[in-house]
Amino acid sequence: MPPRLSIPLVLALAGFAAGTASVQAADNAQAEQAVALLEARCFKCHSHSAGKNKGGLVMDSLAGLTTGGDGGAALLPGDPSKSLFLQNILSVDPDVMMPPKGERLTKDEVALLTAWVQAGAAWPQSRTRAPAADRYLPGTIGAKEKSWWAYQPVKRPDLPAGQARNPIDRFIDARLTQEGLTASGEADRAVLIRRVTFDATGLPPTPEAVAAFVGDRDPLAYEKLVDRLLASPAYGQRMARAWLDLVRYADSDGYRIDDFRPTAWRYRDYVIKAYNENKPYDRFVQEQLAGDELFPGDPDALTALGYLRHWIYEYNNRDVRGQWENILNDITDTTGDVFLGAGMQCARCHDHKFDPLLQRDYYALRSFFNNTLPVEDRIAWTDPAAAEHARRLASWERKTQAIRDEIAALEKTYRETATQKAIEIFPDDVQAMILKPAAQRTPYEQQIAALAWRQVDYEYGRLDRSIKGADSVKHADLKRQLAEHDQLKPAEPPFVLSVRETGAQGLDAVIPKKNTVVPPAFLTVLSAQYPAEPAKITPPADGTSTGRRAALARWLTDQSNPFTARLAMNRLWQLSFRRGLTPYASDLGRLGEPPSHPELLDWLAAEFMSKGWDQKALHRLILTSAAYRRSSSHPAPQAGQLKDPQNAWLWRFQPQRLEAEQIRDALFAAGGDLQADKQNGPSVVYSEPTRSIFTRIMRNNRDPLADVFDAPQWFNSASSRDVTTTPIQSLLLLNSPFMLKRGEALAARLTKEAPGDDAAQVRRLYQVLFARLPTAPEAAQAAKFLQEVRAQKPTAAVSAALANDFQPEKVPFRDGQGAHLESSHRKPFLASGATEVDLARGFTIEAVIVPRTVSDTGSVRVIAAQVGKGKADGYWQFGVTGQKSRRAPRVLVLQAFGPLLGDDFGEAVHFSGLRIEMNKPYYVAAAVRYADKNGPGEVTFSLKDLANDDEPLLHDRVTTRLTGVRTAPQTIQLGGKGTDAESSFHGVLDDLRFSAGPLNDQALLYANEDRRPDTLGFWRFENKSGTLSDSSGKGRDLAVGAVKAAPDAKGGATPLAALCHALLNSSEFLYVE
Amino acid sequence: MAFSDLLAKDIVVPAAGTPLQPGVGAIKPRAKSVIFLFMEGGPSQMDLYDPKPLLNKLAGQRLPESFGSVITAMGESKSPLLASKREWKQYGQSGQWFSDWIPHIASCSDDLAVIRSCKADGINHSAGVCQMNTGSILAGKPSLGSWINYGIGSENRNLPAFIVMQDNQSSVINGPRNWGAGFMPAGYQGVRLTGGSEPIPNLNTPEAVSADLQKSKLQLIHGVNKDFAARYPDRSELGARLASYEMAARMQAEAPGVVDLTGETEATRTLYGLDDKTTEGMGRLCLLSRRMVEQGVRFVQIYHGAGSKWDAHSKIESNHAGLCASMDKPVAGLLKDLKARGLLEDTLVVWGGEFGRTPMSEKGDGRDHNPTGFTMWMAGGGVQGGQTIGSTDDLGLRAVDTPLHVHDLHATILWLLGIDNMGLTYRYKGRPERPTQNEGEPYKKIVG
Repeated sequence: MPPRLSIPLVLALAGFAAGTASVQAADNAQAEQAVALLEARCFKCHSHSAGKNKGGLVMDSLAGLTTGGDGGAALLPGDPSKSLFLQNILSVDPDVMMPPKGERLTKDEVALLTAWVQAGAAWPQSRTRAPAADRYLPGTIGAKEKSWWAYQPVKRPDLPAGQARNPIDRFIDARLTQEGLTASGEADRAVLIRRVTFDATGLPPTPEAVAAFVGDRDPLAYEKLVDRLLASPAYGQRMARAWLDLVRYADSDGYRIDDFRPTAWRYRDYVIKAYNENKPYDRFVQEQLAGDELFPGDPDALTALGYLRHWIYEYNNRDVRGQWENILNDITDTTGDVFLGAGMQCARCHDHKFDPLLQRDYYALRSFFNNTLPVEDRIAWTDPAAAEHARRLASWERKTQAIRDEIAALEKTYRETATQKAIEIFPDDVQAMILKPAAQRTPYEQQIAALAWRQVDYEYGRLDRSIKGADSVKHADLKRQLAEHDQLKPAEPPFVLSVRETGAQGLDAVIPKKNTVVPPAFLTVLSAQYPAEPAKITPPADGTSTGRRAALARWLTDQSNPFTARLAMNRLWQLSFRRGLTPYASDLGRLGEPPSHPELLDWLAAEFMSKGWDQKALHRLILTSAAYRRSSSHPAPQAGQLKDPQNAWLWRFQPQRLEAEQIRDALFAAGGDLQADKQNGPSVVYSEPTRSIFTRIMRNNRDPLADVFDAPQWFNSASSRDVTTTPIQSLLLLNSPFMLKRGEALAARLTKEAPGDDAAQVRRLYQVLFARLPTAPEAAQAAKFLQEVRAQKPTAAVSAALANDFQPEKVPFRDGQGAHLESSHRKPFLASGATEVDLARGFTIEAVIVPRTVSDTGSVRVIAAQVGKGKADGYWQFGVTGQKSRRAPRVLVLQAFGPLLGDDFGEAVHFSGLRIEMNKPYYVAAAVRYADKNGPGEVTFSLKDLANDDEPLLHDRVTTRLTGVRTAPQTIQLGGKGTDAESSFHGVLDDLRFSAGPLNDQALLYANEDRRPDTLGFWRFENKSGTLSDSSGKGRDLAVGAVKAAPDAKGGATPLAALCHALLNSSEFLYVE
Repeated sequence: MAFSDLLAKDIVVPAAGTPLQPGVGAIKPRAKSVIFLFMEGGPSQMDLYDPKPLLNKLAGQRLPESFGSVITAMGESKSPLLASKREWKQYGQSGQWFSDWIPHIASCSDDLAVIRSCKADGINHSAGVCQMNTGSILAGKPSLGSWINYGIGSENRNLPAFIVMQDNQSSVINGPRNWGAGFMPAGYQGVRLTGGSEPIPNLNTPEAVSADLQKSKLQLIHGVNKDFAARYPDRSELGARLASYEMAARMQAEAPGVVDLTGETEATRTLYGLDDKTTEGMGRLCLLSRRMVEQGVRFVQIYHGAGSKWDAHSKIESNHAGLCASMDKPVAGLLKDLKARGLLEDTLVVWGGEFGRTPMSEKGDGRDHNPTGFTMWMAGGGVQGGQTIGSTDDLGLRAVDTPLHVHDLHATILWLLGIDNMGLTYRYKGRPERPTQNEGEPYKKIVG
């Protein structure tokens, strides 16, 4: 039976809806008939029972009709001519008429509805019921809705009676007693230190820390441990992760071009620092929403505004208005989740169906942000630093004025063309906004013009490639001249992703379709008025801003705000117990669930505010509670399992799987190769062994480990992590080169720390991974494993490479794996030369590369080379020029020493105009056609940015005097040349192909991966086919440096490494108990 | 502990027969599997399925004002109209129209429901491809295959339920997030099957690990994980971890067989065009998709022209001629083979891109993006073939009759699988999320 509507709501509804007409008697036949007709013809698309509100309209209550949908009120009792739904029924316009399909209403039916509206549109009593008890009926906010727990001010409850010293335990214990449950005892110290260290720092404890804690006789040993952890810099690195999930932080644009955001990390560092310095939470909130308005001049507060910048951005979108709308909505949705704990996004198109959140409230919230202007030029620093920078910059500008003028003059026409081309593809109205003098733009036009201008800027960034011919040479030359003054140039100031406002005028949000302008206001449910009165806002005196965000921030951090402290405490609780006191940490409404311990949540919130929003103090309180310290094992679990399988009453601790980043960090920590000294600064690629928090989050190119272990997408605010178990995870843990390497690193560590003794190594292994010693059966099991593996025949394909500088690594946007080479390596891959085929017609060398660095000097980092035996043989090499190249830095280059046109024997150097950026995946190629008696030859360079599909395959053709090479029989060297560290390639190499003759476009690897007869060698580094094998079928398998590709007992998978790898697959490693 | 008990709860590759999700059960399923042939970049409807005589008549002129204005990706709303150079013919009993670029697909006319009135919201590739996969132009929502995986699970536990393949190595626009699980658990995401010897990432035992060593490791892992699970017998996810290694092993055993085409007859190979260099690549993917459907894989998606190759902003003649030639015969081969094997009845085949193309020209000989009216088709899985659904205006710019938005198309696909698009919900952050974002209606007349 459907639940009945409670009395207060019926009254409220009646009073709101009909005024004097009031609710007529239930036997009003006309009303019955009219609503029955609506049900038959309209409810299919406009009712709770159908779950549909097309056009934002629900017609199953009078309130729904009078509130109306996108077109405004649908029914005005007593006035058929102003009742839109009737007008639409009468309409013949196919875009408007209702119902849109099927039979039209008959004349009698229309007459019935008209008469009913005329008579006041009484709603039959039999139909005045809520469609479902937990649903909110749009159009009203009654006492019942207002009484929802999360809208009540925080009141500090009395502590329940009890023995526990920690107030938290009083609440927990009282509830357990009430439920008749007994709690498990305190966990073992070893278990406890592993649990709390992961929870507070995201890292495992070291064996030494475990030993010290287990042996500490002090009764307050645990409290001391918690204090130490909370004071450690790793604390902020752990806490920041959860916050960054909430604000959907990422280092990339997350759209077609997943462009890197080089300054985003400053916000990440800000968050880490805020946690480590225990910034009061109210201030933390204020800075992120309104740092510029509330704390002008404070670099931290400006950096904090990054909160308003983590939305995704598409450069390739001419629908600028639409994109800006999406951006503002995204900020509103996120703010609803993070700071209101309310599903505001549900109220974007219609009033929220479950909570008393009006569509109007949504746009009122958006209006706090509606006047913002995203900017990249804010610098988070102090005045003296700025002055010093300005002084140095001015000096550099004076020195370089002439060169820069010359560059500007050369670029002028190219720039004008680029500007025009970029602008003319926008719709006319947007073009008009861009072309208008800035001072004449309305605030909205400022926003749209600025967003559109980003696309023009994007073209400026690519200006280099449009400059052709002699200009190109001159341009490169000027750039190099300019670069000579680089040492005078001050270091780049700390630019942050930030916002300004368009001015003090203020721009209110408008409800689409309804065209209702909504000034900033707080939630109606918290207001005495319906809808809520506009917020009182005092603009800052300097006239640069509206003060709207400051008003929102102040409201949120007022002690009377019902959300802020509760949300913060619930999230802190969730971090420690993996389940919040209310399980949906960003929804305190009806769709969330009521808190398991409402009084505890309120007590924590009250305590938090009274302690000056001190996060660490409250965190300490939670971590030192008996509830947190409980064992996961219960001596008699049956009662708890039966009564409370979810463990909501905390009768024990629940074993929890580590989060993706904790797994990665723990893997590197176990191997002893975690670069823990990286504590801040620019983001690095995920293959770098720093803590995960410092790796780049590229939204469209995820770390495979993070991906399978449930890291969020970072497109929307995420309030919790899933825990899933899949075979794809197991395959990664079991078979990925990354995991094998981790096993080897761990084995190397054990060998160092406990040399020569199996049993000692196994003991150490258990200490490192599990913070405990092995039991006797476990030690025996490990010993048996080692014995067993030693007796096995090693696989013939064990790669020497795995023992050298080569690390398998996936190239983004490519299948399979490539070879990662460290900058310091001095061992290029070697393949036998091409005696049987001469290179008489020329040759082509192709590769996929992800360069990490280029040389700081002018040296060329070599992708591939052949060097002759003596000077008479000459050489050729294909690579990337260094930072200080005399011709052009960071470009593809082909150098050769050989016979030249005109019977010379000498050097031929071919610089391409194709510029390489670091950490991007590229396809690169050089195809050499020799000069001959008919004239000079040509080197065709090709470059394709694999991360950006909009980028074409670029070519640069350079003439050559080279008539041949004499190096054919020599070793082909990949990723370096001899033992010359300067020429060693740093980064990832993959899919190198060496072919006889110059290949044309269609034959290039990028276009066609078919096998070709002219291929001399094709090296793909795939583990199945053989990491070092030549897949061309020509048998040119690779060796590394002087080492042959042969079984190597010392390197790679030793029995101990195998044991380590197996235990890194264990549940005990992946879980805290 | 029985292995099957472990599977029931925590492995999020739900097997068929797991408890029904909301929105599943009330609708009669007509299709069991879906093969979605995604022509990435946006094929031109007025050059393949939707002949527009008026377009050729007005070629060279501007779009008449009566057609209204549109925002296009490259600002081509005012460029001259571009004639279609195609020859058109009617095919089959149904007499549906097809151009001379796709004679093989045309020969399946009576099996195809050609929807000429598709609509989408994104004017650029990123938004368009995202929406055609997830329903939303903004990232973060689960892909349709993930929803289906969540809703009705897989019929084969040893293979992923949702498999994605592409015809070349270029990155599909947006990358793997197109088949991502969005806000749902990672286990629902599509798995990309790649060419070569390792179709699923990390499927193979690494080169440096002998079979014996792998076995020893697996035994040890099983032993320690079993001990750990025994400490917490009511934590079923720990049992699931044990099971996941067994599933991984079975996947390792089964997947290579599915991708091994050596058992296929010469006739079958020819049917898919494996004997011709032009069609070989796509033919292989189409044949693979039939084999997967045979094995109970729920949702197979093939990207043809991966990396926006259909995006003919210029030189549409050579661009589309080449792409059609490589796709036409394999796709028709797939339909014919499925039909011959009795698989077409419960396999829904969907063909289309993220949008269509404009009647206006770009760069003289190309066409811009057009999400306001374009063609897709469906076949099999209960679909009544030989019907043309909806229409565009006389120039092919906008859907006019029976417009079907991406949400409607998704709702229709779900409905054919027995899933109610408004009934199937996933609770995220406490909020009920639906596969078509609370919009969309199945076009039920598609079954005739």
